Amino acid sequence: MERTLTVVPDDGLHARPAATFVETAGSFDAEVTVKAVDGNRPAVSADSMLGVTGLGVRGGDDVRLVAEGPDAEAALDALEAILSTPEDELDDMELP
Amino acid sequence: MTERRFEGIGATPTVGIGTVTWYRPTDVTDLDEPPAPDSVDAEAERERFDAAQADAEAELEAEREQTRERVGDDEAAVFDAHLQFLKDPQIEAGVDEAVDEGRPAPHAVMQAFEGPIEQFEGMEGMMAERADDLRDIRDRLLRLLTGTERTDLGSLPEGSVVLAELLTPSDTAQLDPDSITGIATAEGGRTAHAAIIARSLGIPAVVGVGDGLNEIVDGTEVVVDGEEGVVIADPDEAAQQRAEESTQTSVVEEAVETADGREIEVAANLGTPAEAEPAVDRGADGVGLFRTEFLFQDGSAAPDEDEQYDAFLSVCETFADGVAGDEDPRIVVRTLDIGGDKPIDYLDLDPEENGFLGARGIRLSLEEHADLFESQLRALLRVAATDAGAGLAVMFPLVSTVEELEAALDRVDSVAADLDSEGVDYGVPELGVMIETPASTYLADAFAERVDFLSIGTNDLTQYIQSAQRDLDRMTDYQDPLAPAVLRAVDRTVEAGHDGGAWVGMCGEMAGDPDLTELLIGLGLDELSMSAVTIPDVKSRVREVDTDDAEALAESVLAVDTLAEVRDHL
Repeated sequence: MERTLTVVPDDGLHARPAATFVETAGSFDAEVTVKAVDGNRPAVSADSMLGVTGLGVRGGDDVRLVAEGPDAEAALDALEAILSTPEDELDDMELP
Repeated sequence: MTERRFEGIGATPTVGIGTVTWYRPTDVTDLDEPPAPDSVDAEAERERFDAAQADAEAELEAEREQTRERVGDDEAAVFDAHLQFLKDPQIEAGVDEAVDEGRPAPHAVMQAFEGPIEQFEGMEGMMAERADDLRDIRDRLLRLLTGTERTDLGSLPEGSVVLAELLTPSDTAQLDPDSITGIATAEGGRTAHAAIIARSLGIPAVVGVGDGLNEIVDGTEVVVDGEEGVVIADPDEAAQQRAEESTQTSVVEEAVETADGREIEVAANLGTPAEAEPAVDRGADGVGLFRTEFLFQDGSAAPDEDEQYDAFLSVCETFADGVAGDEDPRIVVRTLDIGGDKPIDYLDLDPEENGFLGARGIRLSLEEHADLFESQLRALLRVAATDAGAGLAVMFPLVSTVEELEAALDRVDSVAADLDSEGVDYGVPELGVMIETPASTYLADAFAERVDFLSIGTNDLTQYIQSAQRDLDRMTDYQDPLAPAVLRAVDRTVEAGHDGGAWVGMCGEMAGDPDLTELLIGLGLDELSMSAVTIPDVKSRVREVDTDDAEALAESVLAVDTLAEVRDHL
C-alpha cells in the first residue's frame, strides 16, 4: 500500500514535525518507509529519526510512503495527516 | 618568556587565568584490523553492542540530568537528541548487518555510523551539526566497547584552563565551574555548544582560535580573555594583573550605595527559575525582570495556575533564603510578553499581526489571551500572600496607553475579588509598567500616578524610538541605546516617574554595562537589572560613583546631539 503526498510544514521533515512523524510511525503495527520523490536517497524506515531527518525533505517537497502490515492503512492515514498539517497546528491534532 | 597572543572569538564577557590542561580524548576510532569474519562469534558481538548501548544510555541520562541542574532545560535537550539517535533503528540495523557479516562490535559501530555521518556532513546549516552529534554518539559507544578510559574533565585541579580542539556536549557536561577558570578551543563559534554552556556557567571562554592553539603546551600559564577574544600564553605582568582584577571583581553580597550614600538596587534579569540561585551567588539584591515566557515556550500547552505559582514562589524563596539584609528582596515578574520576536508554538501567532508593531505584550493579555493573563495574575497574587513573596512586584509589558494600564489594573482588582470570594489567601503586589514604547515615555507621568514603579526596557525602547527592528543586522547602527533620542527618552521617563511618586528602574542590556553605571546613576535611576554575570562589576562601580559628578556627566551627555559626541563624553 502506498501513497504520495506533498509536505505542508515549512520546515519539512525536521525538528518537531519529524519527531511527531517518527513517533507516530512507530506506534502502528506496520512497516512504513518514506522516500523523497525528487531525491536520490533510498527509502528509509519511517520510525528512524536519523533516516527521516536525513532525507532533507523541505516544505512543498513530495514524499512517497509505503506501508505493509495489519495497520498499514491506519498508519498511512495518520502520517498523511501529520504531513498535511502546518507545524503550528500540530498540537491540536488527535494523534493515536 | 615573552607573552604570546592567540586571537579567537570571545564567548563570555569574563577573563580568567590558570594553568593549561590539554584535553585530547583518545582517538577511539583508530581500530585494529578486524579478525577474519568466520572467527567472529556474531551472537557474542551483538551482546557486546547491546551492553555498550545500555551503558551509553545510562551515561547520557546522567549527563542530561547534570546539565539540566547546572545549566538548564534547553541545553539539556541535546542529550535527548543523542538518546534518540543512540537507539535509532537505522543504526541498530546497520550494526546488526555488520555483525552478521562477521565484524566485531566496534568495527560494526564504525560501519553503521559512516553513512549517516557523511550524509549529514553534506547538508546545510543546523543539519550539518547533526554530524558532530553522531560522531559524539559513535565515539561514546567505541569508548565503552574498547574499554578506553574516559579523560576525566570533572576532577581537574582548581585553576585549570582546558584547551581542546573542540568540546562536545558530553565533554562540556562534565566541566566543573568551580575548578575551571577558562576554556579555549581551536574550532567552534559563538553558538557552539561549548560556548553556550560556558556562558551559562560563567566560565571565561574563547573559541575558534585555530590550529595555533596547539603551540600552547600543558602546564603553561594562560589568560583566557573572553571579553577581547584572545588567549595569552605566558602573560606579562600587565595581562596577569588585568586577569586577576577581572576574576577578583569579588561578589558583593550586601546592597550597595554610591560614595556619597545614595542606595542603588542592583538586580538580576532571569529567564528561568534555575537562574535564580546563580544570580544570588553573584550578589543580586533581587530580580528586576523575571521573564515568564519560558513557562509557555516549553511544552505543548499553556501552564496552569499551579505550575506558575510554583515557579514564581521558587524564585522568591531562593532570594528570601539567599540574600543578606532585612528587607524582602524585590522580585519583579513581568506578565506574559509574547509576540514580537517571541513566538509560542501552540498559540498560533501570526508574524505580521503579532510582530513588533502588532498585537504583542499586554495587548494580547487584554484581548485574545485574557485567560492566560488571568491565571498568571491569580498565581502572582497567591504568591504575594506568602512569606517569601512579600517583595513580589508585577510589571506589565508594552503598555502604550493609560486605557491599557487601567484595564490591566482592573483585571488585578477583579482577580483579587475572585480570590477573596473563594476564600483563597492573596496579596496585592507592587505594580509597575515596563517603559519600552515612545508613547509610554510621554505618558510616564500618568503611569507613575497609577502604579508603584516604572522599569525601562532599553532593548525595545531603542528599537521603537529609533524605528529600527531589533533583529535586522543592517539596523545595528541605529540600535545603540546611547543614541541621543533614546537617552533623552530615558531622562524624561525618570523625571516624570519620580514626579509621580514611582521608583524607576532599567532592565535592558544597557543596565548591565559597568562603563555606563555612572551615567545611569546620573540620570536618576533607582534600580539597575542585568544578566547575573555583570552584577559584581556594576556593584563595585556603584560604590565609586559620586552622585554630583554623575549628574554633571548626565547633563553634559544630554546636551549633545550626536551619538559620536555622547561617546566622547563617556
